[in-house]
Amino acid sequence: MINPNDIESIDVLKDASATAIYGNRASNGVIIITTKHGKNGNAKINYNGYVGQQQVSKTIHMMDLKQYAKLENAISDIYNIGRRPEFADSSLLGAGTDWQSHVFRKAMQQSHQLSVSGGKDGLNYYVSGGMLQQDGIVVGSGFKRYSFRSNLDAQVKEWFKLGLTLAGNRTSEDMVQGDNIGVVYNALLQAPDLTVYNADGSYAGPPASDPLSVSGVINPVAQAKQISNHLTRTNLNANLYNDIRFTKDLTLRSEFGGDFNYSDNNLFTPTYTWGRFVNPTASLNERSQQSTYQIWKEYLTYQHTFAGKHIVTALAGHEVQEVNWRGMQGYRQGFYSNTVQSLNLGQASTATNDEYKGSQSQESFYGRVIYNYSNRYSFTATLRKDKSSKFAPEHQTGYFPAFAASWKLSDEAFMENIKTVADNIKLRLGYGQVGNQEIPNYLYGSPLNASVTGLGTGFLLNQIANPNLKWQTSIQYNAGLDFSLFNKRIETSVDVYKKTSRNFLFQLPLPAYLIGNFTYLGGINPPYVNLGRVENQGIDITLNTHNIVSEKVKWNTAVIFSHYNNTVKELTTGLDELIGKVTNGFLDVAATRTVVGGPIGEFYGYKVKGLFKTDDQLSKAPQQFNRPIGNSSAGTWLGDVQYQDLDNNKVIDANDRTALGNPNPKFTYGITNNFSFGDFDLSIFLYGSYGAKILNLLDRSMGGLSGPYQNQYASVAGYWTPDNANSNIPAPKMGTDNPNIFVSDRFIHNGSFLRIQNINLAWNIPSGWLRKAKVSSMKIYTSVQNLHTFSSYNGYDPEVGSTNQSAILTNIDNGRYPLARTITLGMNVQL
Amino acid sequence: MKKYNHYFKISLLLIGISAAGCKKDFFNRPPADTLTLDNFYQTTEQVQASTNALYNSPWFDWNNKASWSIAEMLGGNARTYSPDVVNFSNFSVTGDNIQLAAAWSALYSVVAQSNAVINNLPSHVAATIPAAVVNNALGEAHFMRAVAYFYLVRTWGNVPIITNSLDNINNYQVNTNPVTDIYKFILNDLKFAEANCTAMIRNGSKAQGHVSSGSASAFLANVYLYMRDYTNARAEAEKVINSGEFKLYGVDIPGKTYADLFKTANNNNEESVAALQWQGGSSYGHGNSQQAFFAWTSQITGTGDGYGSVAASIDLTSSYEAGDLRRKPTIMYPGDVYPELDQAHGGYTVPSNAQAQASSALLKKYVVGTPADNGGLGAAFSTGINTYLMRYAEVLLIEAEAVLAGNASTTDAAAVGPVNKVRQRAGLSPLTSVTQSNIMHERRIELAMECDYWFDLGRLDGFNVTSHPKAIAIIDNQERGIYSTTTPVVVWSQKYNISDANFVLPYPTTESTLNPKLLQAPVPYHF
Repeated sequence: MINPNDIESIDVLKDASATAIYGNRASNGVIIITTKHGKNGNAKINYNGYVGQQQVSKTIHMMDLKQYAKLENAISDIYNIGRRPEFADSSLLGAGTDWQSHVFRKAMQQSHQLSVSGGKDGLNYYVSGGMLQQDGIVVGSGFKRYSFRSNLDAQVKEWFKLGLTLAGNRTSEDMVQGDNIGVVYNALLQAPDLTVYNADGSYAGPPASDPLSVSGVINPVAQAKQISNHLTRTNLNANLYNDIRFTKDLTLRSEFGGDFNYSDNNLFTPTYTWGRFVNPTASLNERSQQSTYQIWKEYLTYQHTFAGKHIVTALAGHEVQEVNWRGMQGYRQGFYSNTVQSLNLGQASTATNDEYKGSQSQESFYGRVIYNYSNRYSFTATLRKDKSSKFAPEHQTGYFPAFAASWKLSDEAFMENIKTVADNIKLRLGYGQVGNQEIPNYLYGSPLNASVTGLGTGFLLNQIANPNLKWQTSIQYNAGLDFSLFNKRIETSVDVYKKTSRNFLFQLPLPAYLIGNFTYLGGINPPYVNLGRVENQGIDITLNTHNIVSEKVKWNTAVIFSHYNNTVKELTTGLDELIGKVTNGFLDVAATRTVVGGPIGEFYGYKVKGLFKTDDQLSKAPQQFNRPIGNSSAGTWLGDVQYQDLDNNKVIDANDRTALGNPNPKFTYGITNNFSFGDFDLSIFLYGSYGAKILNLLDRSMGGLSGPYQNQYASVAGYWTPDNANSNIPAPKMGTDNPNIFVSDRFIHNGSFLRIQNINLAWNIPSGWLRKAKVSSMKIYTSVQNLHTFSSYNGYDPEVGSTNQSAILTNIDNGRYPLARTITLGMNVQL
Repeated sequence: MKKYNHYFKISLLLIGISAAGCKKDFFNRPPADTLTLDNFYQTTEQVQASTNALYNSPWFDWNNKASWSIAEMLGGNARTYSPDVVNFSNFSVTGDNIQLAAAWSALYSVVAQSNAVINNLPSHVAATIPAAVVNNALGEAHFMRAVAYFYLVRTWGNVPIITNSLDNINNYQVNTNPVTDIYKFILNDLKFAEANCTAMIRNGSKAQGHVSSGSASAFLANVYLYMRDYTNARAEAEKVINSGEFKLYGVDIPGKTYADLFKTANNNNEESVAALQWQGGSSYGHGNSQQAFFAWTSQITGTGDGYGSVAASIDLTSSYEAGDLRRKPTIMYPGDVYPELDQAHGGYTVPSNAQAQASSALLKKYVVGTPADNGGLGAAFSTGINTYLMRYAEVLLIEAEAVLAGNASTTDAAAVGPVNKVRQRAGLSPLTSVTQSNIMHERRIELAMECDYWFDLGRLDGFNVTSHPKAIAIIDNQERGIYSTTTPVVVWSQKYNISDANFVLPYPTTESTLNPKLLQAPVPYHF
């Protein structure tokens, strides 16, 4: 984790050949972050600090108590239990508890950073220290970080230079459960007739006396504030380098780097009584983890200019990397106190402990030649050989070549005439292969996991081995054109690319009848395979315009536009499709289907025709899922969803499912406008995505109207009843597996959005005012992040991402942490 | 150049080291925290331990909620309002049901891990290990695979028979196999277990947790009974009875009661024919979690769980004969006293307002109390009470039914004797003759909440039939409602008219989506 204030520059390398030199670490592109280094001259002292406030940028509109009471009455009727007397007349009820307002808060944050930099007699230094303290937007959460950095560079001899970068930070985090059983999710589902606190000030909960409360939800405020989950992390990053210049042209660079991580996690569940949720036995789970990363690099660089025009650069290098990790956890329960949280205080007879550890290694050789002719023509060839411990011995090595050429047209004599209109015209072509080994260790073998049983230690096969697993290769072709117009008033880059992932590494989604359950419940992990060929084609356009260029007023605009298509070209499994399923303790649904030739992770399910609103519709419609017409849980009835008979066989069954939408956007875009008027700078960054679809699985749990004691979206309060016969929202139906909530286009949403990501206004205090105070510059700024997101999406945030990093499970919303809006006020002073 | 010479040499040396590359060992990174197939099965102890896990976590999700949702809620012994499983009690479960998927996945976990032992042990075992040790382990794996398929075939009917996951990785869309082939496969596995597992005489030692040759015979008797092969069922049952391996608590073992069968201290007692082996207080997946759902209050569990997610149905509670001593160890009523629960407070008395699922017939079986009640071992979702796969009492009832052999009634002592032995322990008067419905009743009460009744109903009209008139007649009359909260108390009735299609459950949707062939007609299995 790098402190943003220490960053000098960030460069993104997309060119196939440029990334090749970074090897498999660059399989998804390269971002080069350069941290600040001292410069010769006067020492500078810089302070940067801000205070800010965060709050949730959007809440989801849930039913109020009146709406909820009416729903609960309907649920009581279908579950065949008497209505709750307190809900007899919903018109007498108030709004009830708005749980989101109790779990979210306005959270303060502050950051301070001091740095000193300078250089003298060949020694440059940059030293900084900082602290950041943030309360979380959910009660009970927070974050603190202390960090330092020291970058030293010394020109010891004219032929010898060395440097040391040392950075460390320590973070301390109070976490609340954040996934779909987490605090936020529970706040949405929690019943509005319940209160946060009992009359005596203790936390409340669903009453044990009500049989329907078996599906009630734990008090999320109590959950957030009382269950403590504390994580501290310590990181030390050190890099030592030296350059030895043998001749004017020949240099050897050596680098030794290490990254050391230690973390401690401490999860304490106290004793409590929150309605029917009672915990008479406190428990503590402590986890300590450490990992080290070491790298040793040597490379020789030869650069010579022949005849003043032919510049040849040759590079040969070698690097070795090793990662080691280890973690232990201990558990005890039965504490006499909720305040002092140490394993020592738990009952020794309840103690359990576990350990995990492992390592991996990699070695690379690489060479590169760059030929440049008078800065007009350039040609680059790279070859690398990577060897990784993640594969079986015979598949450890991969060879990855890359080539690039560029031509600076505008420096040609024949272009001289148009220079006033178009300049800096450069044509770039690239081809490169990069290896990818982003997979767990030892997938080529068969570990037998030790497992606790009543008979003593048992052994379970952990995975299906694939000894033939080999490197994934990303093969990228790219072409780019850069040019500027009208004296650099408009600068443009256009890049088109085609990236083919060959031998795509993927964990095969196998049916349970081959592998059983999750591995922690005794199942076997499906194998990783080199799945086939996945192709990404796209275009990126960058446009920078200098709209107003005057002494007093400046206005620049930067536009970035990206479009891509991804397609599965070939599968090696012998099948022509991949099914993406979302499976956890609460869900087991098939959500996507990827067919050869189609986009990756297309949503898959039924199409809704409408609701059954008349007896006539019921009797004439194709029979659904073998269910008779009838007003029962097992029947199809008025108010139920009618699905489309896509195969026209007069029966609705699994064969009526179809593609429901593409989770990939048609394009994404970013627009930055920078204005400066005299001493004021204003920048506005907008970011957007168009055309992606989202499958919101929360619509099943929070809009499914299928169970008692859980609140639902206000948007489904007007569900179908005989008295509300125009409604298109299905009537309540019993059970979380009922056909009304099968995955269908009901749950597919438009994922397009435009976000006002950042607005920053700064005032550079005129230097005249500062001179007397010996301040060389001072800036006061305010910024707003995530001011607003224009979107029709019904969840917290339309930028959903992938589930479990699976490419075939993208844009499936299964409970996300909401986005925060942050307002800050800061100051930057340089002495 | 000269002045750099020294450094140049050092540099060349460094480059030399680099260029030579790393040793082969540098890239050999097997797991540092687990054994692997390549270094296991090398000692007798390792081979003996290789089957331990087949009695534990692969079964967890079956034992957790799925087994009782299927056997007890479909069967009409239990009821709930819990929206994840409510549709089991009203016969409207769909392929999207999470517990249906859990049942399928868990049973196939058992199949997969059993297959792993069956396929890997012979090829990796050290030659020095005695053949009897290896064969015993293979016998246990065949036994567990058979038991898993027995639950699978009784729940879904046609399912795919998988003997090696590796065979189908690149072609996983396999067909199902017909019920008759699955029964034949189960018989083969159990015969293998009978021939290869070590014989045992149970002595009540907790260490006798593994299955024996006799356990396999008992299951063979049961499978033959399902198939109405009464001759073989009787032969296998009598093989077990005559071996003296198992004994009936409270009759053959005086001083013990039916209630004692469900105490952790008596795990692997003389009556236990086969049982899952849970570890109380272990992490999620390795202990018995049923208490979390059965206990109506966390005062009983002492570990925060105790949700009362399920309660006994009116139909079950009204089936008990007066004075049946099995009622209290199975179902608790307000006023009942359990000295073994909440011992720290001198025992547990069920309060008068105790209620779960709008019923005061609360579950007791497999509810064992706080960690302190169980030698300090226990945690939320993790008690140490072993789950019976079969008890000797069931072997006696199998024997009786095999002797009855489909006749209307019998006075044959070989049938009446075993039934009366079971009834004697329950404090009930002996019968002079027995009928099929006598035995069905005895099984229902004896085995309530032990994952049996739905399957008994399913075989009532035959093990491989598509028509279930007798079972439907029983189910249509089952009272699945609740007692009213009004005075005078009446029954708010809930009865369901079901069809033959209800006797097999739908395949989990995720599975039939990955493999639409599950929905096609089965194809014969190639033995």
